[in-house]
Amino acid sequence: MARFIGRRLLYLLPVLLAVTLLTFLIASLLPGDLAVTILGDQATPEKVAALRAQMGLDLPLWQRYLLWLWDVLHGDLGRSFRTGETVLSAVGDRLPISLELMVMAEVTALLIAIPLAILCAVRSGSATDRFLTGLAFGKLSLPPFMVAILLIYLFAVSLNLLPATGWIPFAEDPIANIRSFVLPALTLAIAEWPVLMRVLRSDMIATLQEDYIAMAKAKGLRPARILLVHALKPSSLTLVTVTGINIGRLIGGALIVETIFALPGIGRLLVGAIYARDFIILQGVVLFVAVGFVVVNFIVDMLYAVLDPRIRHGRA
Amino acid sequence: MAAPRGAVLDVGVDTSTVAPVRRQRRVGGLFVASVIWIALVALGAIFADLLPIPSPTDMDMLGKRALPSAEHWLGNDVLGRDVFSRLIYGGRISLTVGLLAPVLGVTIGGALGLLAGYFRGRLETFITGGVDVLLAFPPLVFALAVTAYLGQSIANITLVIGVLGIPAFTRVARAVTLSLSEREFVTAARALGATHSRIILRELLPNVALPLVAFFLLGVAVTIVVEGALSFLGLGVPPPAPSWGSMIGEGRESLDIAPWLAFLPALFMFLTVLAFNVVGDTLRALTDPRPGAL
Amino acid sequence: MRTIVKALALAASAALLAAGPATAQKKGGTLTVGLELDIPGFDGLKVGVYDTAANIAASLIFDTLVKLDDQGKPEPGLAVSWSHSDDFKVWTFKLRPNVKFHDGTPFNAQALAWTFARLKDPKNNCRCAFYIANVLSVEAKDDLTVVHTLKDPSANYPATLTRPTEINTVQSPTAIQTKGDDFNRNPVGTGPFILKSWTAGDRMVLERNPDYWDKDKISLDRVVLRPLPDSQSRFASLKSGETDLVWADEFEADNIQRAKQDKTLQVLSYAGSGAAVNVFNTKVPPLDDVRVRQALVMALDRKKMSQAITNGLARPASNPFGDGSWVKCKDDGALPEDPKKAAALIKEYGKPVKFKMLFTATPRGRANGQVLQQLWKNVGAEMEIEQVDQATIPARAFQRKFDITPWRIVDFPDPDLQMFANFYSKSPLNLANFTDPDLDKALEAARTTADEAKRSEYYCEASRIINKNATWFWTFQNTYYAMAKARVKGVPKLYGGVIDVSHAWLE
Repeated sequence: MARFIGRRLLYLLPVLLAVTLLTFLIASLLPGDLAVTILGDQATPEKVAALRAQMGLDLPLWQRYLLWLWDVLHGDLGRSFRTGETVLSAVGDRLPISLELMVMAEVTALLIAIPLAILCAVRSGSATDRFLTGLAFGKLSLPPFMVAILLIYLFAVSLNLLPATGWIPFAEDPIANIRSFVLPALTLAIAEWPVLMRVLRSDMIATLQEDYIAMAKAKGLRPARILLVHALKPSSLTLVTVTGINIGRLIGGALIVETIFALPGIGRLLVGAIYARDFIILQGVVLFVAVGFVVVNFIVDMLYAVLDPRIRHGRA
Repeated sequence: MAAPRGAVLDVGVDTSTVAPVRRQRRVGGLFVASVIWIALVALGAIFADLLPIPSPTDMDMLGKRALPSAEHWLGNDVLGRDVFSRLIYGGRISLTVGLLAPVLGVTIGGALGLLAGYFRGRLETFITGGVDVLLAFPPLVFALAVTAYLGQSIANITLVIGVLGIPAFTRVARAVTLSLSEREFVTAARALGATHSRIILRELLPNVALPLVAFFLLGVAVTIVVEGALSFLGLGVPPPAPSWGSMIGEGRESLDIAPWLAFLPALFMFLTVLAFNVVGDTLRALTDPRPGAL
Repeated sequence: MRTIVKALALAASAALLAAGPATAQKKGGTLTVGLELDIPGFDGLKVGVYDTAANIAASLIFDTLVKLDDQGKPEPGLAVSWSHSDDFKVWTFKLRPNVKFHDGTPFNAQALAWTFARLKDPKNNCRCAFYIANVLSVEAKDDLTVVHTLKDPSANYPATLTRPTEINTVQSPTAIQTKGDDFNRNPVGTGPFILKSWTAGDRMVLERNPDYWDKDKISLDRVVLRPLPDSQSRFASLKSGETDLVWADEFEADNIQRAKQDKTLQVLSYAGSGAAVNVFNTKVPPLDDVRVRQALVMALDRKKMSQAITNGLARPASNPFGDGSWVKCKDDGALPEDPKKAAALIKEYGKPVKFKMLFTATPRGRANGQVLQQLWKNVGAEMEIEQVDQATIPARAFQRKFDITPWRIVDFPDPDLQMFANFYSKSPLNLANFTDPDLDKALEAARTTADEAKRSEYYCEASRIINKNATWFWTFQNTYYAMAKARVKGVPKLYGGVIDVSHAWLE
């Protein structure tokens, strides 16, 4: 097991390096020179050149990358030239919000998906099954930006049950905090459950064909027990993978939902950094997001090994 | 969560179980209806210029959100343009992007996955690593940077969505190849001294292709939706060309005055996504030996 | 030196106190304001030029030397009186005594001189440099007297100091020095409200300054500013009561009209000067031909445009000043709206008229772009919409990498700064690349003349030259909007789109 963990960790390091290098490359493609952005509209070419030299912008890309990497390895992620915020504090402010949103969204999505998947798997091929799988995909055609505004009109404006926008810190008022995440999390969950349900349903149907399930049935175990105890665990491999990927994605923020519900999450930070050509922030946030993705992936791999011991022994 | 949906979809094809072949599924009425709908939308999109409908971009600026009339069958949109015509032409963009982006994904991703699954070893590590890099990179940054650098066009949007879809296809292709590589026909070919390229092209590719095609159709559905999300963020197909996604986005602004402006394109998208899904499911059921698979 | 004491503030405020407000203002309460944009900060060296959201926050945290009264005329702020030299190049301000910054340090002339020198220092690379190019120095004569020396005369100088910008707001030098990089997000001023907490992207909480020099006029205990980027959910937050007042613009015409009909809501609007304008790059074909440019302007049916984009709310503009300006033109030289003539001119040009125009990748940009595209298509010109992000437009404009780009003439109390910057031949912001000696002459004369009527005539002359050559075109005059709960009272005119809620109260 220790070797397995070690191997995974060793593999993840190059991934992180590649992601950050890619960010550097992509950031350098964006139109707009950082020196010009800082100096503004009326700057003379000499001034721009001087500032470029001072900031090291005239160095080749790889040198700048190595310099940045050097600073990062020494714990210095830098500061935004525009707001003076350090990357750490900018990410520190936003990450908890994105994390809470992500957890609530995934839990809600799983709460919708798992029961429906089991229902469909048990009645595989029935009218219920077809209806639910059809619904799951038809739902895709209501994009989140539309679902969000429908939810706001229903729950915030018409019924006045939940806040339409914004966020209250958990420490200030835990209940208000949870309430402020309900609609955004629901919007995301509505987008996520169809895929989760289909994955689980398909794996579950396969599991239910296995001999040991038939044996459990023969032994006279209650169907509910068979489904939840014997069938669910071995059926959830793909579900765990997909949930992992979703979570990894949501660490990078959920821009549309953050924008509509005015949540100060990672997505808006990223886009704001791109629009302002605030590359230090951009680079730092991407690093965090990539680390988050990698960590989640790592946990998923671990879970895999727990769910199915064969994994450790080389099954694909 | 805008663009990335495509990558979330590496699901469905579980190759761990290889059960005896049992073809139970029949081609049903739903399948036929789906094919007809796709054909209608596709024909409409292809021959839109020949249809007796108003231009999708001509505005009647004083007739914004006009109700249906003999001239405008489904009324006007918020800038006074014919909604029906925009739905037809919107199908053109949505289907173009929706088909081409997954083609990009399936070609590159499929090839990479096939190679990784067949050759294993360093190449596999390298390819899966590359896929992980692509997955770990915030897709939004990618989309914003590409459109800012290359400009906004149908081709670039297809490129963005296509590239973002590569990881999913790679994973599917690799998983299928891995399980097939151990099957008798491959080992037999190997034993007979067939070259790598022969094994890959003659033995593996035909067998990997079927699940990939089914997955491809799923990709079409997702891409159509992702294009809409990009439109909402201002990164979609450049105006004035309509796409269903951008129509939903524009209609959202008048949801309580003229809800049909958002719901009509959503309905078209729903039916199309559903149709592709039914077709994909049926194809997969016909090719996947397991009963009741996706 | 001729001295006019514009006002004696102490006397003036005493008089106001005696008169008392017409209705009893209720004290206390929290006002939550929904803005569109997030505020990057307040340090001019970092954020460059404030946007409207920053202006709105700055109007609470900071004071300015001069303010605008109900009539749009300068009135005392932290300066109690002012005077000028005969040539309008030296302005002397007498400062309000016994005012303290939020950090307890005294407000005085030295503080003003220090903060100005910091912005002006070329080593500091302030993006605001352009806006203070005309101010040579700010010097402290004594504790309560400060002297501004200008390069070129400015007859209406005090009015230009009223907008709460990175330059005009009075900031604590001690705080700037001690906080360093962190000052940007921990601003310290003399204003009626003190920054209590600020969660980036979420909310800024401001509490009443108990030691404010004019505290009797401040009613609210607390103001909360929240960036709500999506217009639909912003309006929803007003209806559901999460916010008491929200920023709005004409592109939300549906919401504005709904709010007007809703008895629990009110719509604040201000018809400012200035306009939404657009620049032709007169150096690139086919726009280097005046006939093409004239044709494109004549093709504009602004009334229809307004109907299509803003349900008719937007007011067509035929010059860069607008009805809200004191510049009044009998003849602004506007070209007639005449699609037939336009089509004929395009034909006369002979070659195909094809060009690109920049737009922001926002619903606003898309709506504008598509409508213009349609109007020009009607007369035989083909415009391609090029969508870019907000940051790209100024960058492309300054490099002259555009055929047509949108721009804006903001509602400033005096037109000089923007007129001179945008239309003077040697200005770096002469985006149209257009030179005309008569235009230069009119602009020079306008900035050195004190008499409003005469200045007005010079500006009208400038407008006639620009309109005739069709180097720029104007679409809609500036109208600024806010929507609020009906119980919100005491918000002054939205000068320059700045919603100043410092003196508001809740009924």
